[in-house]
Amino acid sequence: MLDLFGLIYAYHSYPALNELVIHRTSASLPFCSRYRLIDFAISSMTNAGVRDVGIVMQKNYQSLLNHLEGGKDWDLDRGNGGLTMMPPYGTNNSDKGQYRGSMESLSSVRSYIENIRQNHVVLFRGDLAVNLDLVKIYEQHIASGAEITAVCTQDAPDSDTIRFLPDEDGKFASKMHLRHSSIAKGLCSIEVYIIDRMRLLEMIDWCQANARIHFHQDALARYLRRGGKVGIYIHEGYVSRISSVLSYYKSNLDMLNFENRDQLFPDDQPVYTKGRSSVSTYYDENASVTNSLIADGCKISGEVENCVIFRGVKIKKGAKLSNCIIMADTIVSEDAELTCVISDKNVFFNRGVVLMGNSSLPLTVPKNMIV
Amino acid sequence: MKKECIAMLLAGGQGSRLYALTDRAAKPIVPFGGKYRIIDFPLSNCANSGIDVVGVLTQYQPLLLNSYIGSGQPWDLDSLKGGVYILPPYQSAGGKGGWFSGTANAVYRNMDFADMWDPDYVLILSGDHIYKMNYAEMLAAHKDSGADCTIAVIRVPKEEASRFGIMSTGEDGFVSEFAEKPKKPKSDLASMGIYIFSWKKLREYLLRDEANPKSDKDFGKNIIPLMLAEGEKLLPFPFGGYWRDVGTLDSLWEANMDLLDPNLIDLFDVNWPIRSRSPIKPPQYLGQNAKLKHNIITEGCELEGTVESSVLSNSVTVAEGALVSHSVLMPGCVIEKGARVEYSVIGENAIIGKNARVGSPPKPGEKPLLTTCGPDSVVEAGEIIPAGTMLYYDRRAI
Repeated sequence: MLDLFGLIYAYHSYPALNELVIHRTSASLPFCSRYRLIDFAISSMTNAGVRDVGIVMQKNYQSLLNHLEGGKDWDLDRGNGGLTMMPPYGTNNSDKGQYRGSMESLSSVRSYIENIRQNHVVLFRGDLAVNLDLVKIYEQHIASGAEITAVCTQDAPDSDTIRFLPDEDGKFASKMHLRHSSIAKGLCSIEVYIIDRMRLLEMIDWCQANARIHFHQDALARYLRRGGKVGIYIHEGYVSRISSVLSYYKSNLDMLNFENRDQLFPDDQPVYTKGRSSVSTYYDENASVTNSLIADGCKISGEVENCVIFRGVKIKKGAKLSNCIIMADTIVSEDAELTCVISDKNVFFNRGVVLMGNSSLPLTVPKNMIV
Repeated sequence: MKKECIAMLLAGGQGSRLYALTDRAAKPIVPFGGKYRIIDFPLSNCANSGIDVVGVLTQYQPLLLNSYIGSGQPWDLDSLKGGVYILPPYQSAGGKGGWFSGTANAVYRNMDFADMWDPDYVLILSGDHIYKMNYAEMLAAHKDSGADCTIAVIRVPKEEASRFGIMSTGEDGFVSEFAEKPKKPKSDLASMGIYIFSWKKLREYLLRDEANPKSDKDFGKNIIPLMLAEGEKLLPFPFGGYWRDVGTLDSLWEANMDLLDPNLIDLFDVNWPIRSRSPIKPPQYLGQNAKLKHNIITEGCELEGTVESSVLSNSVTVAEGALVSHSVLMPGCVIEKGARVEYSVIGENAIIGKNARVGSPPKPGEKPLLTTCGPDSVVEAGEIIPAGTMLYYDRRAI
């Protein structure tokens, strides 16, 4: 068993996700037909044998609570340890609105972190689509002797990325470029870190004492300024950070590509999600489906091309869908035509409705709408 | 703890008429309808009917069955107040005991389990039927009529009647005659092998039957005829819904094909969900060149070829240029490039090599002659498996 505690940030609701995050956090966004984004962080932990996991949450977390329940579907409903929900402790920040930075969120759950029984903590964003081998990362962290190890990729997951400039040996970095830096050099941080628990507590206390709120620009920058070095681990597989409607749309469609799917869902590191007892999907004589991902529990009679379809969706005869993301329990009636549409859960598209977005500007239809 | 009614599910039979499919696993665990195993139907019916104590009597090749049932969580049977219990054969002091010798003997040997719940009624179920049934309605009919035993019955075509236990009813509505698999059936009212007994009564008859050395210790052959002879009240409970015994290869294939007609049995009914233990798999991917027509498909499948009128369990691969039609593909099987699979049942993790041919369509007007590749069997590239073949994992073929 790894001496590692899992801490997942699940309090963000990125404004650029528009309607998609009215009722949920980024971490509880539905993804790839049957998952929520947070499944990737939790599954990476479960697969590595991390058995204590904390979820840092703040607001808008109803859908997250519904999804996680006691953590049973991720094998985290343990008698000893398991899943801990970490809402704000109540004494700090209770009226300040959204957490402004991750250190602010951590300081509001400091009391939980103090009681962690492991000596190392993995900080994991809940809005990443990535399948990490945390055993490897942990082993490298221990072997390198670093207090902090950053998981990086060669290519940027998106434009606003933290970057590390590795030292000559390539194993450590002592320089960092913050977001939106004009220098697009160095390795890109996916903002997953393994950090020694005492160092993390020290950072939280310093930030609290000095009214600092950010992990990178405050805590980590200070650490590097004072001669600290960050261990670098390079992840080779698929990774996407979902921070806007467009990145949400593109990342879902990325899953139509076999290699991406294979990297995100390798057989030996399955991705767990909330069970939903459903039947297999039924395709009748009129259905025509190509290059699409379809969940179980759907009934399909229409034409579907380049789409990602979630559980319980019904697509009636004569309906035509292309390049769409259709979330759970949505009904597309006869002869409706949808192109580049993201439909949230439980939407009803009437007969003959025609909606057309664009691949760079997909049209989003909010939850429970009747179109 | 006191329960009004508990269920005992007979899941120990070999299912020898499924040959390779049950060569190394019990019949109730055979995959069905894409998402399911056969046993999901009685277990879900119990949960949906409010019966929360289910004893599963196992005997033949129980490993996969036991691990599938586990804590009973998928069926909401992992309850503090009840639950699902695996009941294997066991040995008693003095070397007594051993294998269950018949369906009635299996229940007789587990009387302690039933007594533990002090039930008024015991529901006896089989692990090889596909149907949705509210046992609570059957129990209500049993109680209202004051019967000692209620037998679920269904009308069957006359020509098939000799495969079943056939009964006639008297003017009072109770069973007047019963014949197990009669050569000349007197009616078309067939027993579905689903019984509710008043437990005290059944207990008494189990003890008497056990004491009779000539008895086969079988419900249909011994217990029911004996109760009838003794003048006990046996109530037929007519069932009008979809019901199939899937104990033979033909009936298993036909019941799978029935699912393609949603008018026969509706598995999408949210008021009567059939639950199953799901594998952890990504969604199904239907490829760029996939040609799919009228199928049932399950998560984890990767399909690039042509699939028509077929039922696919999870994690099936159909490669480009392959053709699958009128077939049942069980979890994890692989159909390689250019292979043709027609009117066949392909077992779990079987591999059909490149350009191989398995089975063939029936001649017009004839019944299909089904071909089976058992679990873990391998058909080599280019090999031809003629219609009607039964192929085992170790290349035995009949």
